[in-house]
Amino acid sequence: MKRRSFIKSVPIALGGLTIQAYANNSLLSSLSNSLTDTDRILIIIQLGGGNDGLNTLIPLDQYSALSLPSVRQNILIPENKVLKLAGTNGATGLHPSMNRIFDLYNDGKLAIIQGVGSPKFSYSHFRATDIWMTGSDPDEIINSGWAGRYLANEFPNYPVGFPNASNPDPLAIRMGGNIVLGLQNQGVPMGIAVSTANDPLNLNGTLFTDPPTNDYMGKEVAYVRELQRQTDKFGDAVKGAADKGANLSSLYPKLPADPGYLMGQQLATVAKLISGGIKTRIFWLTTSGFDTHSGQVVTNDHTIGTHANLLKGVSDAIGAFMDDAKLLGFEDRVAGMTFSEFGRRIISNASGGTDHGAAQPVFIFGSKVIPGIVGNNPTIDPNSNTNSNLPMQYDLRSVYASILADWFCVEQPALDQILFKNFQKLPILDPANCISTYVHEENKKAGESIIMAYPNPCVNSTKIKFETKGGFTLVQLINNEGTVIQDIVSKVMQAGIFEVDCDMQILPAGLYYVRIQNGPLQQVKSVLKLRE
Amino acid sequence: MGELTLEIAINTRVSIPKWIYFNLTEYEPSVRILFFHILWLTRSSGTFLLLKNKIDSRQQHNILWHLNNITIVRFKIIGIFLLLNIFQMGSLKFYSGSFGKPELLHLLRRTLFGVKKSDLLFFEGKSLNEVIDYLIDGPVALPPPPLRTYYNNVNPALDTMDKVNINGNVQTIVNFGETWVDKPIQTNFLAGSSNARRQNLKNWWIGLQVNQDRQVYEKLIMFYQTLLVTEDAVLESPHMMYTTQSLYRKYAFGNYKELIKAISLDAGMLKYLNGEKNTKTAPDENYGRELQELFCVGKGPDSAYTENDVQEAARVLTGWYVIYKEKINSVDTFIVPKSAFNQGNHDTGIKQFSAFYGNKKIEPNLSIVDPSPFSDLNTKIAYDELEQMIDMIFETQEVSKYICRRLWNYFVYYDINATIEAEIIEPLSEIFRQNVDHPDQMKIVLKALFSSDLFFQNIHRACMIKSPDDFVVGMIRQLDFPLPGASQLEAQYYMWGVMRTHMFNEGQDINNPPNVAGWPAYYQTPSYHELWMDTSNYPIRIGTYEAFTKSNFVLDKNNTYDGANNPSYGFITKMNFVEFVKTFDNPADPNDLIEEATTLILAVPLSQGVKDALKTNYLLLGQLSDYYWTDVWTTYSTDQNTTDPSAKKVPIMLQDLFNYLMSSAEYHLS
Repeated sequence: MKRRSFIKSVPIALGGLTIQAYANNSLLSSLSNSLTDTDRILIIIQLGGGNDGLNTLIPLDQYSALSLPSVRQNILIPENKVLKLAGTNGATGLHPSMNRIFDLYNDGKLAIIQGVGSPKFSYSHFRATDIWMTGSDPDEIINSGWAGRYLANEFPNYPVGFPNASNPDPLAIRMGGNIVLGLQNQGVPMGIAVSTANDPLNLNGTLFTDPPTNDYMGKEVAYVRELQRQTDKFGDAVKGAADKGANLSSLYPKLPADPGYLMGQQLATVAKLISGGIKTRIFWLTTSGFDTHSGQVVTNDHTIGTHANLLKGVSDAIGAFMDDAKLLGFEDRVAGMTFSEFGRRIISNASGGTDHGAAQPVFIFGSKVIPGIVGNNPTIDPNSNTNSNLPMQYDLRSVYASILADWFCVEQPALDQILFKNFQKLPILDPANCISTYVHEENKKAGESIIMAYPNPCVNSTKIKFETKGGFTLVQLINNEGTVIQDIVSKVMQAGIFEVDCDMQILPAGLYYVRIQNGPLQQVKSVLKLRE
Repeated sequence: MGELTLEIAINTRVSIPKWIYFNLTEYEPSVRILFFHILWLTRSSGTFLLLKNKIDSRQQHNILWHLNNITIVRFKIIGIFLLLNIFQMGSLKFYSGSFGKPELLHLLRRTLFGVKKSDLLFFEGKSLNEVIDYLIDGPVALPPPPLRTYYNNVNPALDTMDKVNINGNVQTIVNFGETWVDKPIQTNFLAGSSNARRQNLKNWWIGLQVNQDRQVYEKLIMFYQTLLVTEDAVLESPHMMYTTQSLYRKYAFGNYKELIKAISLDAGMLKYLNGEKNTKTAPDENYGRELQELFCVGKGPDSAYTENDVQEAARVLTGWYVIYKEKINSVDTFIVPKSAFNQGNHDTGIKQFSAFYGNKKIEPNLSIVDPSPFSDLNTKIAYDELEQMIDMIFETQEVSKYICRRLWNYFVYYDINATIEAEIIEPLSEIFRQNVDHPDQMKIVLKALFSSDLFFQNIHRACMIKSPDDFVVGMIRQLDFPLPGASQLEAQYYMWGVMRTHMFNEGQDINNPPNVAGWPAYYQTPSYHELWMDTSNYPIRIGTYEAFTKSNFVLDKNNTYDGANNPSYGFITKMNFVEFVKTFDNPADPNDLIEEATTLILAVPLSQGVKDALKTNYLLLGQLSDYYWTDVWTTYSTDQNTTDPSAKKVPIMLQDLFNYLMSSAEYHLS
């Protein structure tokens, strides 16, 4: 892989080993006081199933081709119903059900990136989802998510020693589901899963757990769940933020049958937690149903139907959330992005739907976006056939690079380490007021380090220093694909700090991880092996 | 009901299939009388009988009287296609509902450490009675003893454990792989192996649990340790711990009173509760008290033994002590500790017990002339006093109630309310008392317990918080976790040791209950079983299932005894969920897979909504169509080296699914 040559040029250490000479106490206090105000939050909205981008962000200048019966006449939105975007000379517009997103655009709170994808597409939901989750090369299997790697880079000791005084809250929250691969780092979930604000840990939830029954079994289920809540170190913090927070917007979809109701409820929970002071950086939400192989529009009115409802749901929920953010006063601290695992094919199929495709538009919302459209309308070939796809204009990792650099203020070389390569940044977010390097350094020290490798980077061998609390202790060397290369320690041990040699001579240069598991504790740190 | 002609047979063993339940209390009196009559006439017969029957009320009385002495009878009536199995006198209501998969699983979860798919297959289709007859069958022969797998150097030449140096000749007393139980540790051993043996014994026990037969036997052995406690950390004697456990095993399905008599003279117990120091000039009440309070009578509402009874019991027990050494070839040599009697330390006076014990007087019976099985007549007379006392204790109803309450608590649930007291404890204790001298007493009681109606009622299902032992061993068994076989002896003990460490960290150090009352989960009101779990050890349980579902377990051959010279030594294992799921009925169908996985792994039933959510999230990865899973599973299970990126995810998808199931609150319930 080309990534290897990049890695060779990385000059300095990873993971909490660099000592910075900031010792000025007043600087320290002023920085930590201002942390809350400058803390930035990212909302990731995953549209499961593969969204039909061509009916979402519509290239009106391509209608002569699009309206052909052999292209997508049977699902095309009538030109006069499309919400035309200012500054495009009427060439580009939004699906008519996306009026709230349209409002955001007109308010200067929306950036749209055309043609985002991977250099090589996969039509498989799973593989394509993984590529988006991990930011891997198309042919590469990676066992960590891009957001998970970012958080691990910022907080290398997590989860050991967390929560702590300066980091009382979860780093990331997945709303209503389990921790997605995007938030994982080599088997360590970098966040927690939460269902609703009133019941943050889903004690009475219905998604993955049934409510306790009114008998002995229910009594004991409730007992263990309460124990889980108490044990979950973040449970009280999340509940506390939910109790303190509020919602002020009246725009959230109101009825369970309304499009976007569930996403709206989840985003309302996010807004409530943020207004309640939670310092979580990433919220991940998923809505599904975009796999519209058939009947995506109503035959005699293409502006309504399944796909229209899906888009309306997302649009209404995001619109309500941004309204709430403004009313609650944290508008400047949030940015959001939407993505789907792929777009859909240019030509529609005979059953009034579309099949798995390639590139798609990505929406970035927030008051600090650089508004407008990045990229051009695609050119639709009138002779498009079933194999025709929208080409990639921007690598999805360019979107990630832009968010990490300009929103989370990740500096080099960390940025390239997180994404494995240097990707072009896009002008979508305002990089002004980035937090100081000093804050990054503090974050790296947060928590408790129970494993580290030194020297790091290394050439042929390194030493692994680890701390066990006693009992069965497992120390592993893992490669970037998540395969265990060696169990360096696997035995019952007395509590203490130990050091073992780790021979890496025969391994190819690249990024590795050392992982310790000791009772409930696990920690993963990266080790970089350089070429000789 | 006039005259009836019936052909009946008494089945004395298990072998006739398709027994069905027949609850006599549901039949009109005349039919019941008929059955009683048949029973009476045939209770000691194993032959077919042809009966013509008409009963008057006097006969009826006789029959009932006889039935009080009969607890379990099986017979079938061919003529009217009725097959009868167990029925019992007293008011114990037997379960007569349907015996389907949920009932079978409930029964197996409470009687075995976890339920394997193969256990389920073995029992499915059998009747409740057939299953119970299989689960509760004994006596069981003592298992092979623990084997030496400890050492202080992997090089046999440098290892000094269990070796002695006699005039420059180094001899090995216990070779690697041989048992140490008959080779007491001597002062001239080159290295102390007491601690190693103690751990070895615990690991051995866990091995027996992991490799248990489809019997309640191993859970029952643990029951006895929760009740008749000695502590490894106090005794520091692997030999004593082994001997005591051998008593649990010998009497497991047998007679509880006999077990109490034996354990009263058990070397470990004599040391643990100071019996060895109990003399007529310095009586020690410790054992006399616990014998009544913890082992027999308990502290139930009707328990009324007095402080004086404790003192009198101690007097009866004076003189018994433990021999640790004997002269062998005129050399003081440690032996496996055994009990002995010293007449000089025995109080031969009259011991006067309270009204609770019927004002019983116990004194030496000087008319005894035959010393057997002892060699000395005084010992026999003292033992007779002990027997008189234990017989006296067992004449109270309280013993039967206390033991039945403990059984219910251990096997079913801890809330013993008025209903349980009336409908289970009373009738079950009646059965206990009716069989107080029966050699299969515990077997009879357990069979009744596990066929009772209340045991199977919904309210008693999936409500028991697993002990750490059940949590860890049950997990290993239900997952069929790949463990080393007998040919890899050290690796076997190593893995059992890993399991022991997990249980220990979760709050259960087997062979080492925290005090003489045992683990609080079985006696401490009001929380009982909930005490097994708290915020400090809950994360340990997480660590346990995380480790056993995700980690490699490695034993480097070079770190095993003589491993450098033995190519088969060493070990590496890891849970393989693909192979595990292949044993399922229909793993390619995500609905069937979720159904089977949740049914096997969780005792608590899940709603369809939750099952669907699990399917969508873990097997369809958020997609809508079931064929997504079918495709990837088919691809991967056909070729595990597939390059299809989606199919390659199958192992991790399954790992995530099972990991999630184990992360649920429900997973901690049995």
